[in-house]
Amino acid sequence: MIETQSVAKTYGRGMYALRDLNLKIDKGEFAFLTGPSGSGKSTLLRLLLLEEHPSEGQVIVGGRNLSDLTRDEIQAYRRTVGFVFQDFKLIATKTVFENVSFVLRVLGQPVEQQRRRTYQVLKWVGLQHRLNALPEELSGGEQQRVAIARALVNEPHIVLADEPTGNLDPDLSLEIMNLFRDINAGGTTVLVATHDRELIKWVGRRVIQLEYGRHEGTPEAAP
Amino acid sequence: MTVVAYAFEEAWVSLKRSGRSALVSIGTIAIAFLTLGGFLLVSVNVQRALDRWLEAAEMSVYLLDTASDDQRMAIETFLQTQPGVAAVEYVSKERALERFRADFPELRDVTEGVGENPFPSALEVRLRTENAGDAAADGLERDVAGRPGVGDVRYDRKWLARLVGLVRTARFAAGLVAAILMLGAAFTVAAVVRLSLYARRDELEIMQLVGAPFSYIRGPAIVEGLLLGGTGAAVALIAIAILYSTLAGSVAPNLAGLTGTAPVRFLGPLELAIILFGGVGVGAAAGTVASRAVR
Repeated sequence: MIETQSVAKTYGRGMYALRDLNLKIDKGEFAFLTGPSGSGKSTLLRLLLLEEHPSEGQVIVGGRNLSDLTRDEIQAYRRTVGFVFQDFKLIATKTVFENVSFVLRVLGQPVEQQRRRTYQVLKWVGLQHRLNALPEELSGGEQQRVAIARALVNEPHIVLADEPTGNLDPDLSLEIMNLFRDINAGGTTVLVATHDRELIKWVGRRVIQLEYGRHEGTPEAAP
Repeated sequence: MTVVAYAFEEAWVSLKRSGRSALVSIGTIAIAFLTLGGFLLVSVNVQRALDRWLEAAEMSVYLLDTASDDQRMAIETFLQTQPGVAAVEYVSKERALERFRADFPELRDVTEGVGENPFPSALEVRLRTENAGDAAADGLERDVAGRPGVGDVRYDRKWLARLVGLVRTARFAAGLVAAILMLGAAFTVAAVVRLSLYARRDELEIMQLVGAPFSYIRGPAIVEGLLLGGTGAAVALIAIAILYSTLAGSVAPNLAGLTGTAPVRFLGPLELAIILFGGVGVGAAAGTVASRAVR
């Protein structure tokens, strides 16, 4: 499903964020991407979301080399990927419902379908009672659940999450991880970047360890 | 929801949020198109006056009293075969005198006191409008003056030629001013649209990340420019109509009387369309340029 072949990413005067990265994540797999700050976790996610292009090597998703995609094909590809950020990135002026339905609206889906699907996914993350709340009226965990609902509303094949529990306390973090497990149980490929080793142990899935932009193997196997 | 409906809805929301800066933008567009519209209004009416004057401009070929009928016929035939000539009319000495007496009855005594008819016979030549005042008319004047039997040739076209040149220069200058103003207005619209894009940067980032088509991402910015330009042009048209109705009732009749031309007329459908669609076009172009900031 996701494959990187000798991927390198450099910034500035040749400083490597990723170096000779080779890894493979199968369809329907749940994997953690871990490593210390600056190890290249976020860079890899940005390459997978085509916010940036690799300096060397190839990123292949679903059999397609992402570097070959045209501008419109990039947008079409992104429709198959859900993304969750550490800082939630919710639109402050929109309600919970609008934040989620916005995705379907800008993809040109019919209004009735937008409403039905948005309610369905917000119910799934347990926020059906906060539909009209603004983001600032929600707790951190609730805000992250809205962000997850937004990532899922378009039924993506892949969900990428960059430190999704970075701003949450341990209980809320477990709650969010449970949601990712449930998403994965539905067949969606999930890749979560985190440096929280306790959380990784608790969830117990494949771990991709990055050090200085390189893949350092899988130190913690699934139980 | 279609992309067009989405673009208009979001553009309207954005315009309401822009408030004062949107009004400034509409104002600059309105000033630019008021200048253009005023120029068109003046230009159209000056052209009508010029056409009238050019139509009325005649070349008078005065014949010597000694000119024979054959010579007169030869001159007349020569004139009739010239491409720039619309019509030729012979005015005999007697008819010239009658005309003078009819046009200036208070001077009747002067002509009676002279005894012999002092007026020469003449050929009055009406030139085609497009040829009047140009080099072809100069050539015709020279050619006919050298023919046997011709005493003098008069053609009051030099001031008309100067006026045509002046109007041409004024048109160019006004067009240049209007173009500069429109460019300024386009920059203002682009700046307002960019501000709107900046205010919506969170939405735009998410739209890009979820794979929204570019028509959805950039459409509202283009429509916002289009609405600003169209509204500015409409405001300009209303202002021109008010100015016209004010001036048409007072100044215009006197002007028409003085110049001997038809009453001043308002802009026709073509000029109205130029202003309205020009505003829409300038606004949409500025919005398109501004929207390209989103990549």
